[in-house]
Amino acid sequence: MTMGTYRQQPGASKPEVRKDGKRVAGKQVFPPPGSGGSEPTMRPRDLDFIPETVGGKEPKPAGDHIHDRDRTGTVVGKSIPLVDSNAKVTGQAWYGDDVRLPGELIGKILRSPYHYARIKSIDTSRVEALPGVIAVSTGKDAPNRFGVLPVTKDEHAMAVEKVRHVGDLVACVAAVDESTAIEALSLFDIEWEEIEPVFDPKKGLEDHDEPIHWRGKYHLSRTNVQKRVFQEFGDRSLVDSPFAASHGAWTMSGVHHGFTEPHAVVAHWDPNGRLQLYTPQQVPHYTHRALSTVLDVPMHQINVVRTFVGGGFGGKSDPFPHEMCAAILARKAGKPVRITFDREEVYWINRGRHPSHIEVKMTADTDGRISSFDIDALIDGGGFASFGHVTSYYNGVLATAPYELGSFHYTGARVWTNKPASGAMRGHGAVNTRCAVEVGLDEMAESMDVDPIDLRLANLLPPHSRTISGFRITSNGMREALERVREGSEWDTKFRQLPLGKGIGIGCGFFISGSGLPIHWDPKNFPHATVHIQVDMDGGVTVHTGAADIGQGSTTAVAQVVSEVLALPIEMIHVRSHESDTSPVDLGSYSSRVTFMNANAAIRAAIGIRDQLLKAAWEMLGYHPNVLVLNDRRIYYKHDPAVGVSYLQALHKAQADTGALIARGAYRSPPMGGVHKGAAAGLAPAYSFSAYVAEVDVDVETGQVSCTNVWAAHDCGKALNPMAVKGQIIGSCHMGLGQVLSEKMVYGRTGHLQNANLLEYKIPSVHEMPHVEAIIVESSDPEGPFGAKEAGEGPLLPILPAVVNAVYDAIGVRLRDLPLTPDIVYAGIQKHLRKLRLEEPEQMQPPRLEHGPLQPLLVARGDLHRERDRLRQRSEDTSAYVNGVLFGFDPDRPLSEQHEGWREAYEPLPEQLAELGFAGRAWLKKEQRQIQREEEEQRQLDIDESEKPKIAVEHKTPPKDRKSKRGKSQKIRREL
Amino acid sequence: MVGDEHVTMVPVPPGKRWAATVNSQSVEVLAPSNAVLLDVLRDKVGTLGVKRGCDLGTCGCCTVMIDGVPKLSCLTLAGQVEGANILTVEGLSDGAHLAPIQTCFSTHGGSQCGFCTPGFLVASQALLNNNPEPTRQEIACAIEGNLCRCTGYQQIIDAIEAAAVIHRGEAALPAAASSPHADPHPSGPGEPTMPPGHAR
Repeated sequence: MTMGTYRQQPGASKPEVRKDGKRVAGKQVFPPPGSGGSEPTMRPRDLDFIPETVGGKEPKPAGDHIHDRDRTGTVVGKSIPLVDSNAKVTGQAWYGDDVRLPGELIGKILRSPYHYARIKSIDTSRVEALPGVIAVSTGKDAPNRFGVLPVTKDEHAMAVEKVRHVGDLVACVAAVDESTAIEALSLFDIEWEEIEPVFDPKKGLEDHDEPIHWRGKYHLSRTNVQKRVFQEFGDRSLVDSPFAASHGAWTMSGVHHGFTEPHAVVAHWDPNGRLQLYTPQQVPHYTHRALSTVLDVPMHQINVVRTFVGGGFGGKSDPFPHEMCAAILARKAGKPVRITFDREEVYWINRGRHPSHIEVKMTADTDGRISSFDIDALIDGGGFASFGHVTSYYNGVLATAPYELGSFHYTGARVWTNKPASGAMRGHGAVNTRCAVEVGLDEMAESMDVDPIDLRLANLLPPHSRTISGFRITSNGMREALERVREGSEWDTKFRQLPLGKGIGIGCGFFISGSGLPIHWDPKNFPHATVHIQVDMDGGVTVHTGAADIGQGSTTAVAQVVSEVLALPIEMIHVRSHESDTSPVDLGSYSSRVTFMNANAAIRAAIGIRDQLLKAAWEMLGYHPNVLVLNDRRIYYKHDPAVGVSYLQALHKAQADTGALIARGAYRSPPMGGVHKGAAAGLAPAYSFSAYVAEVDVDVETGQVSCTNVWAAHDCGKALNPMAVKGQIIGSCHMGLGQVLSEKMVYGRTGHLQNANLLEYKIPSVHEMPHVEAIIVESSDPEGPFGAKEAGEGPLLPILPAVVNAVYDAIGVRLRDLPLTPDIVYAGIQKHLRKLRLEEPEQMQPPRLEHGPLQPLLVARGDLHRERDRLRQRSEDTSAYVNGVLFGFDPDRPLSEQHEGWREAYEPLPEQLAELGFAGRAWLKKEQRQIQREEEEQRQLDIDESEKPKIAVEHKTPPKDRKSKRGKSQKIRREL
Repeated sequence: MVGDEHVTMVPVPPGKRWAATVNSQSVEVLAPSNAVLLDVLRDKVGTLGVKRGCDLGTCGCCTVMIDGVPKLSCLTLAGQVEGANILTVEGLSDGAHLAPIQTCFSTHGGSQCGFCTPGFLVASQALLNNNPEPTRQEIACAIEGNLCRCTGYQQIIDAIEAAAVIHRGEAALPAAASSPHADPHPSGPGEPTMPPGHAR
């Protein structure tokens, strides 16, 4: 008898019968099909998907993994369709605007026509008089502030005092239909007082009469700086005598997520007075919190329902003011209110990638070691803080790997301007700096006459090491990724050998897999993610998670790991993740955290269910769980498959007396990282790594760049679903290509956004898309679920520098303005021609490479490190490794005992102030509290000298509210 | 400028009878004479699978087939297609049995967030109806009016290629994850087995 013939259907057994032949009431069996899966017999074990470490055939080059014993060969590692894909291909998936409640009203938002203005008065009487208008609301209805980060709550549902950008929310109406609502918007009588706006982020560093926000004693002088960062690590003395150096100043345009679904929200206060809010959100829990704050309603009286999300990419990861507006209008109207954005409004709410000015200097020493990275990033935050506090750090700290650095110096500043707010976007904060750094490495490799891939391979951090800023790197597939794209693209026969107009370039990247710090609570007290599982008599498994599926397949990932642990077909796993009423609290989909954290929690919960099943099987079979095997709806004795019970038999045994099986699992990241200011930014339980090679064609006459081929290797630890991982890699390429070649939010000279539509905001169409060879690298992360890490954001990073480097390879011109639209490339070529006194672009010579004396040295070091990395990856070498070992740093001794050059600093020394980069100039300003303290001290001195207590009394009166604070600071400024 | 002066907008014309065949069902609704087909389909007919992405004909999410030709419903006046045969994504499948193009989108990863998927499905079904053996270039031309932000198009083209193979009859329709459970009594149910005492 083969294993495949074990029957799984209890319905096949005979029902219990009485002596008269009738069945015993109440003892019916569960009828097939539908119970225990629709296939009647057990499928054989799929040894190809069971690791070799536990007796299967799946190779484990990176060594064993803690979850290997939980593998059953059911679905993990197999390309399966997303579990919700059938809803999507039939048009039944319900997105924000598809929620239609009976009696709904249509809400519309009045937006600011001014960049920066004070609202002196709003008269809504004419609006209210319009027939068909049911509810009107303005900023005074919701004075409480909110924001995605608790430290920077600076948003209101509608403008309370002043509007901060064109498109800022002023008021909203709910009416019986859309045309009435639009008509009503023209009936507001508003008295404005315009204020001088700021658009240029460089001017944001200057003192301003009316800063866009006022942060009280923490405000930096009177500037528009929202956040400034200074970090310095390592041995700065290495910078003094560089062997090679690169210096580049970049201008990166702002880009938008360009998701296809415009924002939409439906709010309804149910008859019990609870708010039901339907919204396509990546972070329903943050919306939940913000709604509670703004509406003054306890969180348990709000149910946030996440609809299907038509693309997020970070653009739906803030609590949004229009969500508050819908709730306020619905409360006033007593009816459901639906607000749907048009495409232009999507751009007004923005949260796209920050327009940035980035300057990167780097040096290398005579051994080809990277002795310093100096990064200065000035980022344009627009009107609100959003995630900007974090972005300010990410622009620097996410450049500290995958290379071993002698020293690292970062100054960053995020400024408010009167433009739509920037926020988090796929590859949050890391993308622009990564591009600048990777292009710098390419330039440095050229000046050293070495191959840029060999330069990288000789300077990689190994697995299980610590970066210069204190991040804990666990698994690391960077080397394999680089080697595989080099081989796949036939790099060695193409690089610096292609004719004019054709080029090839390399780029690398690394990204966090989940943020180590949950924004709203102490990780010591609460876990990052929780998953509940319930199994009732029918055998179906219901999984409750708050993970927001935004198309990346998080629901599928959670279903897959539960299916894998319980050895049940994936059709038997039902994930419920839409409602905050039924889902455990979850932070949402950002920082690439969902697969890592939720799947880990789901594995723990599934193990809880499995243990109950195994215990029941133990009681039925008499064999200890250690010798029982789970496979496709059956539990049997390891050495004799005939001795076993079906899943349903074990389940019903386990349910005796207790009812449905319940289990929960939680994930929290291990304690890690330093305690310094900003140490939590960029800290993650694991990091993904990627390397891309891109081939481009450049038309030297017109400057048109087209990318033709991409080899994209991404280390995602373990591909739970290779098809989904490849989809993420190719999709990331698409989004990154848009940023590097065509996408740009165009702000005119008047500061007005000029291309708030998909016609002029150029997202690559199918014809602009190159062929992408997606290569999955599996480094098996020791803490990831079955070894998995993120694959959603990291793959975006390398495509930008790969294309920019390829353009240089094609035409020999370094371009540092993104996107590389034809006008930029054409101007670059013309400048180059003038410099070389050439007539025609065809006369240009593409760059060529003659390997210098350093090349063999780097190759040798790379080979040496390959073996080092292999041993560390497999935990055969468990010695400590800290960034700096390459430079003589002793990892076993604390920083204080190292060579005196090694230090960490989080504020500039007074003598450094003069030589900081552009964004670093924010450190020349003083915070209000410091200004006040110094004034106080000065006054004390004055009092001591001349005894005038009158002034001191006047200034000791504490400011009562924001307004008076500003009044006071204005006074201070005048005094200054 | 907003608030300065009030210009009364053109009043909405009164509802007018609009009839067409949508997904093989004849429908009759009241719609203003200047109504856009997208609004009529979503708000009156109730085919919410037709998605609104931009209202400007730039994203292709609202693509529907009008008399066999894929068109953007956001740029079509309902009055222009009065009485036409309109096919939306809801009409592609035969009951719960998915069309090959739908199954292939699902199995090849052609749909991630899924918002653009209805438009892609209709556009590619129209291609397959006319061209049983499309090249990758021809497929690209058929979907050039549709934007997808998630997939990078590659897996969409793979899916359409695979569906073309099925349309040509060279491969069997792969079983989708959610193909309905087999009917255990295809020729009609036999005598039901009721528990004792059950009232007939």
